[in-house]
Amino acid sequence: MSEDDDIRSLLVDTAQRIFRDHCSQRTVEAAKRDGWSPELWEIVQQAQLPLVSIPEEKCGAGGSVSDLAAVLRVAGRHSAPLPLAETGLLAAWMLAASGLNVPPGPLAAAFQRTEGELRLEPVADSWRLSGELKRVPWASIASRLVVLVRGGDCDRVATVDPGRCTIARGVNLAWEPRDDVRFERIALRADEVVHAGRGVTIEAFYRRGALARALLMAGALDRALERSIEHARTRVQFGRAIGRFQAIQQEIARFGAEVAAAAAAALSAAGEVERGDGELAVACAKIRVGEAAATGSAIAHQIHAAIGVTEEFALHHSTLRLQAWRSEYGSETYWGERLGQRILDAGAERLWPLLTDSA
Amino acid sequence: MLFDDVDFSALTLPAEAQALRREVRTFLAAELASGRIVPHLGHAQFDREFSRRVGARGWIGMTWPRQFGGAERSYLERFVVTEEMLAVSAPCAAHWFGDRQTGPSLLRHGSEAQKRRFLPAIARGESPFALGMSEPGNGSDLASVRTRAVKVDGGWRVSGQKVWTSWAHLAEHFFCLCRTSPEEGDRHLGLSQLIVDLHATGVTVRPIRFMSGAHHFNEVFLDEVFVPDDMVLGEVGAGWRQVTSELALERSGPERFMTTFPLLIELVRRLGGTADRRARQVVGQLTARFHALRRMSLAIAFEFTRGASQRTMRDLGTEASLVKDLGTFYERDITEAARLLVDIEPRPDAEDTFERYLAECIYTTPVGTIRGGTTQVLRTIIARKLLGAAGSA
Repeated sequence: MSEDDDIRSLLVDTAQRIFRDHCSQRTVEAAKRDGWSPELWEIVQQAQLPLVSIPEEKCGAGGSVSDLAAVLRVAGRHSAPLPLAETGLLAAWMLAASGLNVPPGPLAAAFQRTEGELRLEPVADSWRLSGELKRVPWASIASRLVVLVRGGDCDRVATVDPGRCTIARGVNLAWEPRDDVRFERIALRADEVVHAGRGVTIEAFYRRGALARALLMAGALDRALERSIEHARTRVQFGRAIGRFQAIQQEIARFGAEVAAAAAAALSAAGEVERGDGELAVACAKIRVGEAAATGSAIAHQIHAAIGVTEEFALHHSTLRLQAWRSEYGSETYWGERLGQRILDAGAERLWPLLTDSA
Repeated sequence: MLFDDVDFSALTLPAEAQALRREVRTFLAAELASGRIVPHLGHAQFDREFSRRVGARGWIGMTWPRQFGGAERSYLERFVVTEEMLAVSAPCAAHWFGDRQTGPSLLRHGSEAQKRRFLPAIARGESPFALGMSEPGNGSDLASVRTRAVKVDGGWRVSGQKVWTSWAHLAEHFFCLCRTSPEEGDRHLGLSQLIVDLHATGVTVRPIRFMSGAHHFNEVFLDEVFVPDDMVLGEVGAGWRQVTSELALERSGPERFMTTFPLLIELVRRLGGTADRRARQVVGQLTARFHALRRMSLAIAFEFTRGASQRTMRDLGTEASLVKDLGTFYERDITEAARLLVDIEPRPDAEDTFERYLAECIYTTPVGTIRGGTTQVLRTIIARKLLGAAGSA
């Protein structure tokens, strides 16, 4: 085993232990009301998990995007009610790449979608931010909000105290915070607005967001499959465990194949984002994992039957997140069209090289 | 559970494999441009001359030891050659069985004399092999073979019937799974693999025409065929174990999800700049599914490479079954998407490549999910691994 493998397995073991011990069904259930779990965040932050992949000289924890990817998969597996992906893969990445130190605490991240959505004006030697961003993940619980703002000459990264914004709370299908944030002529100091650093673009932000959801979904699929296997082994009908019926076995096998394909796609994409722009791999991952989420949730519920759709049974923590995350940072439809367009523009002779040249 | 310990984020092909890819691509482009090969989809075509040219390049048996005609290259390089051949549907049937199944079996179980006789010839592309496993009374249930070998002085007398034997009418030899001792107790015992000369006295090969009219399947009748002792592969009675290890190899490669891939390329050409929103989405989805399948198949090739150097192989048999299961449905997805997006009447005599490929794919669509392990058998294997004995037995 190489040194890198050692670090990776240590991280994964740590994440698994923390979430197993501190992210119970009650924790996830309580987060439906509170938006998240501050207690769990403290433990995860102590273990330095949120800032994996951020250089240590920028107050990060070191390691690679693939290391963080492995942690996010575990977080998804446990439905961890935390802005783990937003903090490390998005907000801290923008800050560190733009030369800023990363503050402690949970971070939210957002970008300007349309021209008129935000306005960032220079005022003497400071700035003023106005406008509104819709459905910003975790804005209501974050200690800082990191926004990628479009500018005429260049894009800028602004760090905002959410306490100074007007936040209207909203949720996704799994009751995770997705909030509308209004900036009403908020004054920002010069050191709170910087030029977006190398590689920090709206395209890259969106790809990383999609990668984050693919990784979390891969984890949620792991969990939904584990629960389904457990149920098939223990639930007795007609005098035997339902897993002994071929009809159930065939569905479990189909489910297993989807989960494997999802993990392959999501983790491969993490490697590609680490080594290059990852456009093709991320598009493939968001599409393929989304398909697996659709098939996987359906099979999981079918195997569990009625108990699986109740609030008291934890399956829905996984399956509702799968359904929510499928749509975030681009659905299969969005990425399918984008990828298809790219392939059709390149032409038939370029299809095979596109798929094989990088790896 | 599945693909445990596989780090997909780190799987990148080494530079020498990518350099080899460019060589193979150049070779195939020249083969196509000259008209020496004309691809057909569905069943790999049998072309001895093409196989000889591939052999001359050193691309058959390329992972085998040099002393047996191999090139001692990695499984990843073999993977690259295989997928390049598949991307243009090159006619590899005259060497693929040898390269993928009989060669590796000979290496593992064969005698020195067998290895010296067959492996260099297979690697040169000059010794086409077929596989004699299925029989009229057995399809998925391989262990119920009835072809029987009776011990005689200096060898065995083999009688019985094999069926679905691809290319037996053109191959030189086939691996024949047969019963060498009476069936009592465990029916997996008492089976052996014999190397049978398809031109020997007592062998009759009759075509079974495919529903398209094509001829690649055969029935092989064996009537008291003499097989000398030195043509027994491995141990007498160990045939079941030997054959099932062949199946694991057979299931893991890109040939299980790429047989209709050239149709996807032609679909992209046909759609060109006129593609509407739905067409773009479908092309994107098909690309994404391909990508995930390839990454899984590649992970297995990486494991073969690692295992070959460290002499310990993780068992990825279930994962190989899974790739084949997903892969064969993916092949079908391409065919279905092509006909729904391009509304033409498919015809086998079409001159247009897209239209001909589409017809060929429709003919062979039902075969992918049957050969080399049916969907249902594969899913039973996967479920057994996932549920464990307690849940599925």
